[in-house]
Amino acid sequence: MNKLINFKIDGISVEAQKGETILTVARKNGIYIPTMCYISKTSPCASCRMCVVEAEGVEGFVLSCNTPPTEGIEITTNTPTLQNERTNIMKLYDVNHPLECGVCDKSGECDLQNKTLEFNVERQSFSARDQLRPTQNWGLINYEPSLCIMCEKCVHVCNEVIGDDAIEVKFGGYSSTIIPKNSETLDCTFCGECIAVCPVGALVSSGFKYRANAWELSRVPSTCAHCSAGCPLEYETRHSGINGADEIYRVKNNFEFASLCGAGRFGFDFDNRAQRNESAFNKAVEAIKGAKAIRFSSMITNEEAHILQLLKEKLGIKLFNEDARVFGEFMKSYSSMSGKLHHSGSLDAIKQSDAVIIIGSRIATDNPGVRYALTTASKHNGAKIVYAHPMEDTLMQSVTTQMMKYEVGTEEGVMALLAHVILSEADLSDSERAFFDELDFGYLYAETNIGEEEFSHMMNSFSRAKKRTLIIGNDLIAHERSSNIAKLAALIEKYSDFSLVVVPREVNTLGVSLINTLQHDENIPDVVGYNAKGDFVISSLEGADLAVASLNQQEGTFVNIDNRVLPTNVALEFDGYTLNDIAKAFKIDKKNTIDYTQELNKKAGFKTIAFDDLENFLSPFGDDNRGYLLDEVTCKADGELEELDDMPEFNGTIVYHCDPVLQFNNYTFKTEQLPKENFLLGSAQFGVAARIEDGDKVEISFGATKIQRTFKLDSELKGTVALNPTFDISVDASRYRFEKSKIVRVV
Amino acid sequence: MSKVYFSTWNGEFVNNINIPQEEWKESAYNLPAQYDSHRESKAFIGWDGVALFDKDVDVIRLAMEYAAQYQEYSEACGRCAPGRWGGRILYDQLDKIARGEGSRADLDHLREIGKSMQITSKCEIGKTVPNPIIDLMTHFEDVFLECINEQKPSKHYHEDVSYIAKITSPCSDACPSHVDIPAYIEGVRDLRMDDSLMATRQTMPLAHVCGRVCPHPCEDACRRTNLDEPISIMALKRLGADWETDHGYDFFHPMEKKPSNGKKVAIIGAGPAGLTTAYYLAAEGIATDVYEELPVLGGEVAVGVPEYRMPIAKYNKDIECVRDMGVNFIVNRKVNADDMRKFEQDYDAVMVATGTRISKKVYCDNERFEINGYWSAIEMLDQINLWDKYGIGERVDLTGKTVVCVGGGFTSMDVVRCAIRANAKKVYMIYRRDEKTIIKNTTYEEYHEAVEEGVEFLFHSAVARMNDEENVLKSLLVDKFELVPDPNGGRAELVKIEGASYTIETDFLIPAVSQSADLKLLPEEWEIEKTSWATIKTNGKDYMTSRKGIFASGDCEYGPMTIVNAVGQAKRGASVMARYVLTGEISLTDDEIMEDHLRKLRVYDKKEKVTGWLPGVARAHSEVLGVDERKYNNREVNLGFTQEEAMSEAERCMRCYYIAMVQA
Repeated sequence: MNKLINFKIDGISVEAQKGETILTVARKNGIYIPTMCYISKTSPCASCRMCVVEAEGVEGFVLSCNTPPTEGIEITTNTPTLQNERTNIMKLYDVNHPLECGVCDKSGECDLQNKTLEFNVERQSFSARDQLRPTQNWGLINYEPSLCIMCEKCVHVCNEVIGDDAIEVKFGGYSSTIIPKNSETLDCTFCGECIAVCPVGALVSSGFKYRANAWELSRVPSTCAHCSAGCPLEYETRHSGINGADEIYRVKNNFEFASLCGAGRFGFDFDNRAQRNESAFNKAVEAIKGAKAIRFSSMITNEEAHILQLLKEKLGIKLFNEDARVFGEFMKSYSSMSGKLHHSGSLDAIKQSDAVIIIGSRIATDNPGVRYALTTASKHNGAKIVYAHPMEDTLMQSVTTQMMKYEVGTEEGVMALLAHVILSEADLSDSERAFFDELDFGYLYAETNIGEEEFSHMMNSFSRAKKRTLIIGNDLIAHERSSNIAKLAALIEKYSDFSLVVVPREVNTLGVSLINTLQHDENIPDVVGYNAKGDFVISSLEGADLAVASLNQQEGTFVNIDNRVLPTNVALEFDGYTLNDIAKAFKIDKKNTIDYTQELNKKAGFKTIAFDDLENFLSPFGDDNRGYLLDEVTCKADGELEELDDMPEFNGTIVYHCDPVLQFNNYTFKTEQLPKENFLLGSAQFGVAARIEDGDKVEISFGATKIQRTFKLDSELKGTVALNPTFDISVDASRYRFEKSKIVRVV
Repeated sequence: MSKVYFSTWNGEFVNNINIPQEEWKESAYNLPAQYDSHRESKAFIGWDGVALFDKDVDVIRLAMEYAAQYQEYSEACGRCAPGRWGGRILYDQLDKIARGEGSRADLDHLREIGKSMQITSKCEIGKTVPNPIIDLMTHFEDVFLECINEQKPSKHYHEDVSYIAKITSPCSDACPSHVDIPAYIEGVRDLRMDDSLMATRQTMPLAHVCGRVCPHPCEDACRRTNLDEPISIMALKRLGADWETDHGYDFFHPMEKKPSNGKKVAIIGAGPAGLTTAYYLAAEGIATDVYEELPVLGGEVAVGVPEYRMPIAKYNKDIECVRDMGVNFIVNRKVNADDMRKFEQDYDAVMVATGTRISKKVYCDNERFEINGYWSAIEMLDQINLWDKYGIGERVDLTGKTVVCVGGGFTSMDVVRCAIRANAKKVYMIYRRDEKTIIKNTTYEEYHEAVEEGVEFLFHSAVARMNDEENVLKSLLVDKFELVPDPNGGRAELVKIEGASYTIETDFLIPAVSQSADLKLLPEEWEIEKTSWATIKTNGKDYMTSRKGIFASGDCEYGPMTIVNAVGQAKRGASVMARYVLTGEISLTDDEIMEDHLRKLRVYDKKEKVTGWLPGVARAHSEVLGVDERKYNNREVNLGFTQEEAMSEAERCMRCYYIAMVQA
């Protein structure tokens, strides 16, 4: 099937693979064909008609963006007639386009400006009656219809890549416009991808509008610090007044291939503005001297993690990080079964899948990067996607083909049943086969509340699939039976054609778990917190005993969900101390933090590459050239499946720790533009069970924690589990996210 | 042939300007000279040229109004740069000339923009709208120049003139249900399956069914054929429906249900025609009771078309979609003449959609119903489908049996392939004509799949006699025929070959020659007119029978025909009924009148040379289960397109939308 098609473009012999178009082949071969509406990651919009070419022996022009080449055809991309028609199209685009480039946000990086100059449109022979089209204010996003050229890029990415499907074309010839779909105003997750792809100034960020010109801004390529997807982005900075300090004005991304959620795009101002304080620094050194342990979060770079490890070794103290420890334990069990350190899948593997099981994560908010990969798989490959979780998520409905709703707490049973159907014909070892033979299916179907027919329906829907992926979320990682769950996941990966993606919870959970030797967090005195609670707190957040740089103020690397080591850069200077300065006080002596990049744990697959040698870009064809992929590491496969435990029961009012769209952690919480809706969200049924009503102020108790929130009814939720945000508080990351809770109305 | 004053339609040039009317030359085309019973057309303008039926037509305004339609027809326009701005510029410039403010330079700009639109637009509307406008500017240049030079308005610029426009395309014109095919294909191409599905459901509620088992007459009228191969139109329809089902969405209805208007309608039969009538009437706010004789809904598609071609789970989604519009179904209720008399009183109108459920005879010697082994196709398929799909009745087990079917159409294919699945030892199909004809009557795939599964086809054969022993069928005497060409060049004739007859031993003879309608439910005193085929007669436009308020559609009107034909008739019938119950009048909308005119004119031109597309891009074919995987079970044979196949197939669609407009 993969026969190459040989043909010629402008006399040059080229070849095309199945699925390629004349335009993609031309671009691959460095041949320029102008476009105004083409975007690589979506199906062709085909609205601009600029990419027309001539084909030998074919009368008329052929559209290159959506036409696959045929064997032997000779294509010409530029002739005087083509040039003339393309110029006419540019003239049409310019008809009544407001001449407000002086104040337009897009000016200087506007496709319409660029192409108008490129085609030398210096006079206009066409005219049409102008029309009144008022600006639309959609919250974080502004739409100016009179600037819109109706390329439809925004509509395509919103539907095909993001999955919101929140905007559409309102057809009407000359008065066509972009409108919110099925809604008066824009109702979406505000990823801002539409702003990114807009070739003109029609869709802009409300917060950025009229604040700076494109050419005034400095661009710092970096990696998003909010979740483990590790999306590429560029911070754009400028001084903020005559004597003002630098400020991040906006975030942009390589939208041609990559995507970014709204937290990455609008939640950029989490930099630490605290001042240098020498006495605090000295106190910090003293505190560490007297410390029994350092407790830290996974919102740090690999290099910081490495320095903490060095401190531990030098001072003989303990390191606490429950998030990374629990993740590390999960992966250790995984390795004991799979014989290798890293999971096999990646975001790219998800995008190419046509069958996916996602279990144990409210993924749309946990990791939007995974959600977008699922949307791509769903839309472009028609992927069958099984969403296994105790709660429905309306954000996932458009991609989900099967909701597998299991009982809270029964994740181990669900995984055993999944492994059983997937591996029914696999060449398992005798002991592995015995494990499945001994399962008490009646009990498992009853307790998980997933019937046998649901599993056979799943296998049926996967029957034509060629690329399958299993995605495991935090509910499995933090489960009390995570060790056995990890082994089951490894078994599926090992004996079937499923690739596996384990979703780390924080931006660098994965990196930390590979670098640090972590102890179980005990409630002991004399703990120094590093971006975490402690008796002495060193942090990039407010209220620290010693302020340090936040992640957009330092150089270093993260490891993302792809097992890729990604560089992050200094968008804004931090005038103060770093962890490395503290390390130096203990004679752990390197000049800069990034001097440790090449020394990161080789046994975990890190390479001996200096920070300054790390690349950070996507190729013109979208290849990810950021950092490097961890080396695969083999290890001993001596794990054995354990007998299943009894399924726990969760009755009464349960809360599920889950952040709303656009929020992830204390850093997103402190940004200016992101909404901070910290309601306890529940269904009417939950309200009845907890005896609370919409708008009530309630106290939620789980474990030793008590917090107060306002209860909000959400008509899209069902059942007796409510969603409790954690971005504004700190909840121990290792906790199983479903909590039996006590909810009392506060009078 | 039509009488015209002037025509440039499809490249002809008929110019009767300054010629007395008696001497007018005629156009070679079926142009809509008479708009409807009480209105004559003054002009017809469309993608292929312009025709004037009257001297008095204001040609500048005609051109301008045609350009204006480009702005009106939102569903097809505004999708490309040349079309969106170009269309507006055409209109603005023409309006400027028509109101008496034009200049000669405007004519140049019109030509320039017209040319750009013709070669770079996304769809055929953009490419063809300039055609008749430029024709008018060329042939009536003096009229244009007069307005420009004297700066005066065109002759009827300020008057009320009635222009009626309709958007069409070759495929949707050929589709008996007039499904907006380019729109649903565009939905697939844009990966907006909800849009795709709603485009289908505007005129076709059975998207699962007609995405699977339609004989797709549209594909014979696909312009892409002029370039390479037709688009796989039918298979692309299934995408939207499967998407809705797979994702568990509520039904996407293309219209909002109107509030109840207090009217109610009875529909007899819950097959494709009945379901369609009910869906569109319910959407209009009319209460609909559907009476079904069988215990199950769906008509022949449920109890005739086998599971492996049309999985009932999918068909049930279509039926549920209809129910979701607020339709009331009453099953196990055979309607008789007394009921009909009562219904006429109780309801504001009645639709008869009872199909054709009586298998016709083979007409051989000793053809007697009492013979054990003589089994009508309808009865056999009823029993098989009721068991396979609903677990009603008894399983058909043909183990060790030989089955002979006489037929050649879809029903006979279903019979023989079901017989294979019922484990028959040997299955024969006896057909009077040859292989080529059977493929033409069904589909290439259907025939070859049957052959693969082991059906033996006996061509140029006919059963002459049933041989029984004590009323148990034992064997058949089969005559052999040959095709003898007519020496005078007429149609070749089948002539029996003497001495070539042979006998086959068999347990069953299943006639699947054709079906007829059971019309006993029509009260005799109503004297409802019948066709010579013993079906209910209507005028084929409004689907009312000779009795006021009693309508008929589907096979009981047309005779055994396709699902899509039944749906098309019922959709039109529902539209007429919706107005009839409110006004008591029988009427067609302008859109429907135009639809009929265009059907007569024919939108598809197989001789047209297609330009602007690269030929040789192959049609996609969906995966089909291998013969061993499908032969002894009811798994759906055609697996449908993968997303990748669907997208590449959708990209082949040329969006051949056209605008036609009449000045009446």
